Amino acid sequence: MAAAIELRDVTLVRRTQEELHYDLKRTLLELVNGRVRKIRRHTVLDTVSLTVAHGEKVALIGPNGSGKSTLLKVIAGVLAPTRGTVTVDGSVAPLIELGVGFDPDLSLVDNIVYYGVLLGHAESEVRERVDDILEFAELGPLRDQPTKTLSSGMSARLGFAIATEFRPDILLLDEVLAVGDERFHRKSSARLDRFWDAKSTILLVSHDLQYIEKSCDRALWIDHGSIRFDGHAGEAVKRYLHTVPGDDSLQHGEELIELAERSRRGEIVVRGTSPTDEGLKVFLIREGRRHWVMTPELYGKLGYVWDDIIHVDDAVIREVPEGDRLL
Amino acid sequence: MTTGTLSFLTRALFDERTLSRLAQLIHISALRSLKVRYRGSALGVVWSLANPVLLTAVYTAIFGTAFKQYYGGSVTRYVVSAFVGLAVATFFLNATSEALISVVMNGALLNKIPIKPIVFPLSAVAANFFQQLITSFPIVLILSLVLTHDVLRALLVPVVLCSILLLSTGFGLALAALYVFYRDLPYLWQIVGFMLWMTSPLFYPIEVATPAVRRWFEFNPVAQDMSALREVVFGQGPIHFHYIWVGFIVGLIALVLGALFFRATEREFMDLL
Repeated sequence: MAAAIELRDVTLVRRTQEELHYDLKRTLLELVNGRVRKIRRHTVLDTVSLTVAHGEKVALIGPNGSGKSTLLKVIAGVLAPTRGTVTVDGSVAPLIELGVGFDPDLSLVDNIVYYGVLLGHAESEVRERVDDILEFAELGPLRDQPTKTLSSGMSARLGFAIATEFRPDILLLDEVLAVGDERFHRKSSARLDRFWDAKSTILLVSHDLQYIEKSCDRALWIDHGSIRFDGHAGEAVKRYLHTVPGDDSLQHGEELIELAERSRRGEIVVRGTSPTDEGLKVFLIREGRRHWVMTPELYGKLGYVWDDIIHVDDAVIREVPEGDRLL
Repeated sequence: MTTGTLSFLTRALFDERTLSRLAQLIHISALRSLKVRYRGSALGVVWSLANPVLLTAVYTAIFGTAFKQYYGGSVTRYVVSAFVGLAVATFFLNATSEALISVVMNGALLNKIPIKPIVFPLSAVAANFFQQLITSFPIVLILSLVLTHDVLRALLVPVVLCSILLLSTGFGLALAALYVFYRDLPYLWQIVGFMLWMTSPLFYPIEVATPAVRRWFEFNPVAQDMSALREVVFGQGPIHFHYIWVGFIVGLIALVLGALFFRATEREFMDLL
């Protein structure tokens, strides 16, 4: 049987966004002055070879910017490799940046149909499923409203519902383990679990290392665009965590209480760590009027580096209601 | 007719297998932009006529009497001439401006779902063409029949409209690709578009420009189609076929160059979207 996904020596070289000649006027001026800047490129994926069998659940781990999401995009066919070949056998559902890309002026129904057809399904088939999709996303009453009336959480729910409706052979999950509020969260993870139990091939990018150890057979540790380790999930996580800098290298913030007070007054967004009375370190993030605390146990287990905490999904951060004592 | 032309164009660029998928994507994508424009109201169709009609009214009010000597002394002929020219030029400008932004505007989508980016400029042009197909183009056809009493000329009207479609598609593709790299392009295209507008004899007779200036008009591809249009809507006596095929060839060249440019630059799009 052919592999579900096969990458052979895939290298991806991209233009850097910073070096964009985003300006025709400036480019022409430079041309006149005889000073043409060279376009800078960098290697995002470096001779990656990978074979994933049908039904395998594979996690991609590694620091931010290491090329995990890019690898998913290459497999999804969104990005074409500069060198090497990508072969995918079966229908692919890319769950990448959910909720982005809807036409804000189209109704929900029209967006579902449009999106479904873009994903490669027949229009008639998508139309038949519209009601199911809306029902799952719990957006039925808004079916004829323009999509711009949705909140970002609702858009993500809709994106999730569409992408998972069509029982794909291969599921690509980019930081998507569940979406929406607490209730929908449970519902969406239940749906993903079904794919997990079924024969679907799953590729998953996540920072939730516990989850990966628990649910994936295999993990790839990606670093600077190449595969550092490919094998048993537990082993990959262990090796990856080994390279993550320990507490010493983290920046130490101001005193927690003071930070908490100032953040409560809305003066600052806390970004740092601080010792508590018990000598533990707690991470604080303020989001609008809500405070989030991340405990050291979770931190240690997950092996987050500071950059990741800002992007971390809600699941690992405990919400502290306003007015509640942080310690 | 739209899909026929499009599949002709795409067959040259893609293999058969992806062709039907491409046609389907262009279809649904064009439908999307039409839906957004009309919001389900029939009045939307009327609005797309409003632009050439209102402009014709304004130009007639200002120039109608002054220029009528060039139109056989008839203001009505001036009105018809201005309307036909404006309807076609409006299509060209709308289609190219929409195609210009189309790839960048759909950047988020292109980053999630594997779609050929060429879908978006093609569907932008197709949507605009369809819109004119159910509004101003039939009027142009009827005017041709009424004014020339010549069925052959009327039959050539679709050919001329195809030329302008080819021209718009070629420009649309090139502009859409360029915009990915140069984000100040809309400003430039606005100026160029205005220049094309002014140098196409839409609301004035070509005779008012001196021959020296008129030579330069030859470089305006839209003006070529205007001459062809004039021939099939107002021409009398034997048909000057060369206007028609020059327009068509110009359109074809624009399309091939635009498509080649798009294909050549396409690979780098995703790095900049």
